[in-house]
Amino acid sequence: MDKLLAAFRERAAWRDAPRQLSAGASFAYVFGVVLMFLLVVEGVTGVALATVYSPSTTDAWASVAYIQDQMPGGWLVRGLHHHGGSAIIIIAGLHLVQTAVAGAYKKPRELVWWLGLLLLVLVLAWAVTGYWLRWDQAAFYAAQVELGIAEGSPVIGGLIKSAAIGGNDYGNLTLTRAYAVHIVLLPAIVVVVTYFHVVIARRLGPTPLRKAMPPTPYWPVQSVRNAIAIAVVFAALFVYVITQHGVDLASPADPTAAYDARPLWPFRWLFELRTLAGSAEQLVAMAAPAVFGGFLVALPFIDRGSERSPAKRKSVLAVFALLFAMIFALTIASYATDNNDPDLDGRERKELARSARARELAMTNGVPVTGALDVFKTPPMWKARAIYAQRCKGCHDADSTDRKGPVIAPGHGDRAWLTQFMKTPSGDAFYGHTKLAATDAAMKPVELPPGDFADLVELMYAQSGATDADAAKVERGGKVFESACTDCHTLSEGEASAAGPNLFGLNGRDYYTSFIGNPKSPIHMGKDKSQMPAFAREMTIVERDAVAEYLVWLRTATAETLSALGPL
Amino acid sequence: MAEDPDRRKFLKVATCALGAGAGIALVVPALRLVAAPVGATTVTGPSAPLDLGPVDRLRLGAEPKKVEVIAPMVKDAWTAARDVVLGAAYLVKSGDKIEALSAVCPHLGCAVGWDPAAKNFLCPCHDSRFAADGSRQTGPVERGMDPLPVEIKDGRLQLTWVRYRMGGSSREPI
Repeated sequence: MDKLLAAFRERAAWRDAPRQLSAGASFAYVFGVVLMFLLVVEGVTGVALATVYSPSTTDAWASVAYIQDQMPGGWLVRGLHHHGGSAIIIIAGLHLVQTAVAGAYKKPRELVWWLGLLLLVLVLAWAVTGYWLRWDQAAFYAAQVELGIAEGSPVIGGLIKSAAIGGNDYGNLTLTRAYAVHIVLLPAIVVVVTYFHVVIARRLGPTPLRKAMPPTPYWPVQSVRNAIAIAVVFAALFVYVITQHGVDLASPADPTAAYDARPLWPFRWLFELRTLAGSAEQLVAMAAPAVFGGFLVALPFIDRGSERSPAKRKSVLAVFALLFAMIFALTIASYATDNNDPDLDGRERKELARSARARELAMTNGVPVTGALDVFKTPPMWKARAIYAQRCKGCHDADSTDRKGPVIAPGHGDRAWLTQFMKTPSGDAFYGHTKLAATDAAMKPVELPPGDFADLVELMYAQSGATDADAAKVERGGKVFESACTDCHTLSEGEASAAGPNLFGLNGRDYYTSFIGNPKSPIHMGKDKSQMPAFAREMTIVERDAVAEYLVWLRTATAETLSALGPL
Repeated sequence: MAEDPDRRKFLKVATCALGAGAGIALVVPALRLVAAPVGATTVTGPSAPLDLGPVDRLRLGAEPKKVEVIAPMVKDAWTAARDVVLGAAYLVKSGDKIEALSAVCPHLGCAVGWDPAAKNFLCPCHDSRFAADGSRQTGPVERGMDPLPVEIKDGRLQLTWVRYRMGGSSREPI
């Protein structure tokens, strides 16, 4: 083995001596390695996610929901990617604190410090662009607010927003651009900057903070510490992702629906600061990061000299601690405000129900190519029910306050309904609310011996095309109809009857389509006997047919099967 | 044979020039592509006012009524789509007149919702509130809700969709 390795080293011109640590091994040195490991986690999970994710405003949410809810372990990969990003920000923050306390930004390590700060900015930009990609309500409104703030900046504000969204409005070019930045541009820049950050830091060696110790070989004395740290961080990340079942996904982006948009946690302090700033919020949004960032960048100039002992750099560290404490306090305050807002709690509950519904529909019905919001339109007869709610409900729903026609409800047109109708045509649920009921032209209750009555009901029932009609009864009913009903009605297709409507195909799909189109037709109610508007011009024949299909479905529906269709 | 110092200098300059030339030839076309959408109209909305249907069917009451603003056709870079939801508007009846308010918050662009309990509009992102007529009440927003032009044509309500620049106290259509 050693021979093989030696042969390889010779051919790879790899002549470096094994690495030595001049001040010994330490857990203080694990941060960089853990961060690099987390970058690998982001890379591996990111490539896996990229094989599924679709960066378009119509498909993005659907592909993320597919990863989250339908692919094996999709939630786990997505969760590791999301929370792994958070872990990078946390550990990079700790690394920054550690470096500042140790005075490791001092000459000759200024470059390493600045490259580190640049990496932190890049990682935050990574988080922002990554968050947009899910294109749910949270991402959509986060993007709105972030770019609204950018748009408010002087002179080039409009240009920044246009460059970010790719034109004048959110669309095809928005997510392709964010995606390119997130998965190609930022990783490339981060890799290059990380390379220089690490190589230069290595050339300079660790900051000598402690007493000199005998040189220690890096492998395996430091390596094992690195491995332990990585194992602890990764285990914590894994457990957290499992407890969260990956990461949340709100309902699809909806430009019409209000949503309580909040920034990602690393920006919550700025959100709170803006709130506190009131009318100076725009200034604060620009100035606070500039002051904080400026302080960190200028630190090697502010804190000069070779003194590294924290005890002798109290004033600098005090300012540093104050800034961090402020960020911490503002973050806590922001979450506390939300936790104490009962109205917000109610709205969040509603949104949770809505996103659960969207994801369930996406799983059972799939998401239409027209866009993720249309997933809500995939339940059976959604379109017909939407039209019904808009056009018909006001006059026909039992609980409508200004009902003007017969009630339309589950069981409409079945045997029981026909029986009740024929007994009391002007009853409350039937023509009771119409102008017709009070006139002489109103239908009189049907008075027949029970057997004939039942036969007539069966005949009318058969008109709808119901397949379970009793043929013998229908035939007998035909005779009853001839003797009792033909003064007013007819069953001959297309023929105008004397007074009442033609009952051919009553409560069937074609009948409804025709009736909705023009109730005042001579084959239906006739010119003066209906208040119902003719919908032939308002609705296409496809729409009328859809509503007709729904009304036919209602005949065999119950309150339970109706509510099982779900909300509109 | 000793190298001529002038020749060395020429070689250095030539190397840098060739490198810079190749770099420019590569980067300029790439940047042109990336910059093309910036400031351009990539998404074209409706050119004509949108039909919201007969006025008497809208059932406008005391409370503002939310309507979805749907464009019959939107061209978006390489696709064209029918019936695209652009946003929402609130129809407010003041006397005989009907006014329309864009549901896009003029602060930073979140969607404004009607709060039936408080009888005013709330933008939940930064807690801006507007009165029922759209005028500014509280919060960081600097102006009232943006009005959208409406007119009644043959008894049908026609609405024109306009986007305004975010922030500020003055309205600037974009």
